[in-house]
Amino acid sequence: MLIALLALVGAFVALYLTLYKFGVIGVLSCNIGSCESVNTSKWATFLGLPVAAWGLGTYIVILALALAGLQGVAPRETAWLTALITGWGVLFSTWLTYLELFVIHAICMWCVISATLMLLLFVTSVLDLRRELREG
Amino acid sequence: MVKEQRAQSTKQFYLALVAIAVIGALLIWRTAGKANSRVVAVDVKATPAQAEGYLMGNPDAPVQIMEFADFECPACGQFATITEPDVRKRIVEAGLASYRFFDFPLTEIHKNTLAASNAAACASDQGKFWEMHDQLYQHQPAWSTEATTDPKKFFERYAGQIGLDVSTWSKCYDDERHLQRIMSNRAEGERRNVRQTPTFIIGTKMIPGSLPYDMIRAYVDTAAAQVARGAATADSGAKGGQ
Repeated sequence: MLIALLALVGAFVALYLTLYKFGVIGVLSCNIGSCESVNTSKWATFLGLPVAAWGLGTYIVILALALAGLQGVAPRETAWLTALITGWGVLFSTWLTYLELFVIHAICMWCVISATLMLLLFVTSVLDLRRELREG
Repeated sequence: MVKEQRAQSTKQFYLALVAIAVIGALLIWRTAGKANSRVVAVDVKATPAQAEGYLMGNPDAPVQIMEFADFECPACGQFATITEPDVRKRIVEAGLASYRFFDFPLTEIHKNTLAASNAAACASDQGKFWEMHDQLYQHQPAWSTEATTDPKKFFERYAGQIGLDVSTWSKCYDDERHLQRIMSNRAEGERRNVRQTPTFIIGTKMIPGSLPYDMIRAYVDTAAAQVARGAATADSGAKGGQ
């Protein structure tokens, strides 16, 4: 359950950054750090799409898996998939945070929030998976 | 019992999910809406701000002196504090010439100059441009780029000292209400090929760089003589035509 809630919050953060990237939101509200320099850097695009859009897609997939798991659809498989996807998410977020700190030299508040959410999601999904394996 | 508890927590979960969805959607909708609210209809017939500078003295005086200056430029500061009081007293107040100050903020090298132009423009709203102009130049080292990143607190003090309604002034300053006026003053200088500050235009001559009083007086006298001659020629021309 926690996974679904966290994923929804993450989806909104990613949606916000994606909308900025597509020019729907003029200025990012960014009390800490420098969101603009991070989100306009060349690292803000991955395989032709904004990194934020990848994040949005990832959060939506995690949310869908979590809801499916709650409905009892293949609980073991969804737990595995969620753990794998969030694990990948953590690796990717770590890479992005590394870029912010050591390459772009600017930190973006929303990106850090997203990275933290992804880490929490990963931890929760691993705990879920463990329980699932034990119960199953 | 356990079943009931589970149903209860499932209900809570869906409530929380809906709550997050609603709050998130509202936040996004508000920020996106804010961006759209910046787009407003404009009056297509509105004329661009005119570069009028700031006038001192009689606008109908025979000669006009124009000064293009940057509030943060040291040479302008020297001129304003050392030479200009004489010019004011012995040329402008004597009715020989009018004097117009045009902002020429060199924002590329002076970080606080636009703020100073803004402070002076807002003082002008209350009829005290020249008082603020004098304060700014007299205390230039105190609020310049090297001295501070927050010049407003200095300007606010000057506003109080010269007797402005400080809260009105402060609102005008924060709104940057006269930015267009300032930039059109600068554009006027660019149109006239002003390349440095201060630059003077006296009558038909443009003189770059600071000037001592005597030279300004000489240019004013020359221009006045030209005007008188021009008037005389026009007179005789008119007579000849009769």
